[in-house]
Amino acid sequence: MIAWAGRKAVEGVAYAADVLYLTYLAFKELFSPTRRGRGDPFRVITRQILFTGVDALPVVGAIALIIGLIIILQAGTTLPKVGAGALLAKIIVLTVVRELGPLITAFILVWRSGTAMCTELGNMRVGQEIAALEAMGISLIRFLITPRLVGAIVAMICLTVYFDLMAIVGGFLLAKVNLNIPTAAYLGEIGKSLSIADILITVIKSVLFGVTIAVLCCHHGLSVVAATTEVPQQTTRAMLNTVTVCLVLDLIVSASFYL
Amino acid sequence: MRPETVLELAHVSASKGDHMRVENLSLTVQRGEAVAFVGSNASGKSLALKLCAGLETPASGTVRVLGVDPSQASDEAVLNLRQRLGVVFDKPALISNMTVFNNVALPLRYHLAPPEDEVQDRVMARLAECGVEDVRDQFPVDLTLGDARLVAIARARVMDPDLLFIDELLIGLDADDLVRIRGLLAGPWREQGLTVVITLNAPTTLFGSMDRLVLLRDGRLVAACPPEEAARVKDPMVPDFFAS
Repeated sequence: MIAWAGRKAVEGVAYAADVLYLTYLAFKELFSPTRRGRGDPFRVITRQILFTGVDALPVVGAIALIIGLIIILQAGTTLPKVGAGALLAKIIVLTVVRELGPLITAFILVWRSGTAMCTELGNMRVGQEIAALEAMGISLIRFLITPRLVGAIVAMICLTVYFDLMAIVGGFLLAKVNLNIPTAAYLGEIGKSLSIADILITVIKSVLFGVTIAVLCCHHGLSVVAATTEVPQQTTRAMLNTVTVCLVLDLIVSASFYL
Repeated sequence: MRPETVLELAHVSASKGDHMRVENLSLTVQRGEAVAFVGSNASGKSLALKLCAGLETPASGTVRVLGVDPSQASDEAVLNLRQRLGVVFDKPALISNMTVFNNVALPLRYHLAPPEDEVQDRVMARLAECGVEDVRDQFPVDLTLGDARLVAIARARVMDPDLLFIDELLIGLDADDLVRIRGLLAGPWREQGLTVVITLNAPTTLFGSMDRLVLLRDGRLVAACPPEEAARVKDPMVPDFFAS
């Protein structure tokens, strides 16, 4: 039992070290002065933003509307009954902007794009495409990892803002059927409740989640050795680990702003 | 002209997985030579080729490619070396979301970034050399295995490498393709001084286009000799292999 725990601990530390090193290399590449191979990675970044960000707009919008509608309906009907109707805007800002916006957007990105990244790189490993890139002297970090990192960060920030807007504004417009709150008053209260800290938290979380999704999913994709059966196994691990790390980071960032 | 050694293996041993191993392999290849590692499956040909291309690190012994030991050289030196080597794996390994043209242009754009009209000229010249210029706008998934392997050869040639390594050359190629490769080996590649190292797992008419066959059995060197002498080598592998 102790040996098992020790082995797992060592594996965990090695895994964390691998992931952190990959993150370091990906960021280092971003600021590398060399111009070698800048063209193709730029095309990969564009494709990544298109797939991760633009193509995800309908699903993020739909989920944001539903979440926003649920929260506004629940809070908008319950809070006035206990004399706390004035807190509606504050609660929406706290739950949507600070917590659910970045977190649910991250989950959608993991399910949609993270799995795609992991599967794509895993299949590239099986098809010897990774080996071919290495043989051609093409940096895997520059050609595969950094573009996905940049794409995931940009898409994550934009989609979180989109999620927040859809949840707060769209959700309210839908909930208005059942609520008796003037739109202008509602939006004014939201504006007053929204602080710099809220925006800072949502941006910090978006960046951290974008980095986590790209690096962990790419790491697991590249961890495939040779067999196609490894690809779904690594994808499952990537999803589980990415969601767990995102939750831990969410907790840390949220707690650090309250402590 | 004085022969120039472009590839040197000295007492190289290595293993990969349960079945791939090379033991105490020594070999030198001169510029412009065409050499084939020959043997049955699991004889260590592919590992030997990867060692020659600096893609595997030997457990013992030294490998020098164009004067560089890839296991000891700096990252920059290895990167420069990679641009002078063309490698084709047993799978075509084309990037699946890029067209044939962009696949072949990839190393050129990445390392040299020349003007696009130069990219166009060089890529089309290599595709035409391999007889696959008609598929330039197709994606790898739409290609036959033979065409995909020829595109992979075109991609490996686009940087005008000093050495070209092709693993399991016979996979996917039909009779016409083999005639084309034989023509390239005897004609343009030889005239350009290109050194070619390939692996073959069955007797083929391509033997006649090689300067030397390196016979391998169970990871050990049996003989390195001109093709016309290979069938006379005294070793248990030879009668079975050449009878097949």
